[in-house]
Amino acid sequence: MKRRTGNACGFSLDPWAPRTLRKLMWGFYIEQLMHSLPFFLKGLWMTAAVSGLSLIMGTVIGFIWGTMRASRSRIVKALIGAWTDLIRGTPFLVQIFIVFFILPEFGIQLEAFPAAVIALTNLASCFICEIVSAGILAVPPGQREAATSTGLNWFQQLRYVIMPQAMRVILPPLVGQYVLLIKDSSVVSAIGVIDVTRVGWLTVQRIPQGLLVFGLVAALYFVICYPLIKLSSSLEKRMSVGYSREKE
Amino acid sequence: MIEFKGVHKWFGELHVLKNIDLKVDTAEVLVVCGPSGSGKSTLIRCINRLETIQKGEIIVNSAKVHDSRTNMTKLRAEIGFVFQQFNLYPHMTALQNVTLAPMKVRKVSKKDAEDQGRYVLEKVGLVDKLHQYPAQLSGGQQQRVAIARGLCMRPKIMLFDEPTSALDPEMINEVLEVMRNLAREGMTMIVVTHEMGFAREVSHRVAFMDYGELIEIAPPGEFFSRPKSERTKLFLSKILTH
Repeated sequence: MKRRTGNACGFSLDPWAPRTLRKLMWGFYIEQLMHSLPFFLKGLWMTAAVSGLSLIMGTVIGFIWGTMRASRSRIVKALIGAWTDLIRGTPFLVQIFIVFFILPEFGIQLEAFPAAVIALTNLASCFICEIVSAGILAVPPGQREAATSTGLNWFQQLRYVIMPQAMRVILPPLVGQYVLLIKDSSVVSAIGVIDVTRVGWLTVQRIPQGLLVFGLVAALYFVICYPLIKLSSSLEKRMSVGYSREKE
Repeated sequence: MIEFKGVHKWFGELHVLKNIDLKVDTAEVLVVCGPSGSGKSTLIRCINRLETIQKGEIIVNSAKVHDSRTNMTKLRAEIGFVFQQFNLYPHMTALQNVTLAPMKVRKVSKKDAEDQGRYVLEKVGLVDKLHQYPAQLSGGQQQRVAIARGLCMRPKIMLFDEPTSALDPEMINEVLEVMRNLAREGMTMIVVTHEMGFAREVSHRVAFMDYGELIEIAPPGEFFSRPKSERTKLFLSKILTH
């Protein structure tokens, strides 16, 4: 990442240069950017791959941990609680450095891509675990007692009685969390994964128009996140209607 | 059918069941009454191990409930339980509420479960409410669905934990009527309730509990006209005046 200071935002131009020249330069930069669009799309694909994989695995692990955290066993609860607190209380950048630079010290050598996916999966699991366990605990205990007393086993209770009700509480913040995690995935550029943020860093060295380059980067993230933001808020609306007909 | 032998239970420091000895026969209807906090709900919750006991023995259908190795899932299927707050599944219709356990626990086919569900819901007078959600039903209707949910498992025992306490007065009777019919059909029932009319009319024996002790247990005629213990007399004088 060698770049001359001062030109990242395009101020290296002589401010007194004729307007026409500057106009010409803008046209040139935009054309250059268009040429590197395939590079950006590749980066977008990498961002989608890292966050997609991590979100899928993180959701699975998060639901398992969340269910265990909402269960009765004190030891399991304490262990998962401690881990999620630790992960939620430390910066993701540091976590990813630990996976990528410090694990090799213990003989675990990882490529940048798997390291990124592992770190982001872990982060996702921790956040999703909290959302899921809160959702499960929001279901009144009488529901579990009723299911227990009809002879349903633990898994059947969870599957048919608890989860369908908990999902109403879980879904809106879960989708919101996806948005946050996709944006957090930009941190993986720090260990050399060529995601869309990294593409931005590389491109700005050739096209010294920070606003232009990172504007494009932002737009690409937005394209992925905006539908999810909309989905989350529409879920929130739909879920809050739900059983409002219910009498207490 | 149900037997308590020297049962003790503590919630932390609180001694909620003190040396309970009790025997309920097949087809017997036992009403348990007593002031709130006397341990009567806890008593019946112990029968299907919604609560665990610390000392003594509970034997249901020759299965040892107090033994942690006993498989409760199977036993619970034989015991219907009706809660004060109904605890219907809000995301399911009345029919789905009553067919879930037969399908998942008894592995009855969906069609058979629904046929039976319809039959039982008809029996409790809700044949027109099959596809309504609990939120669309009145309290009395919800409680009758809850009773139907228990009955669909074809239980040998039905336990009622203050089934009418959360209901508006005009709905109490429709629920009691369903319970009367059940008693007439020879169901073994333990009913925790303050409905003394029901106790007098339907039950074979009435038990009085206070501070976790089983103070007195007698047939209703005797229980209401000649209570032995002072505490029973005091309790009856309080609740029978109005």
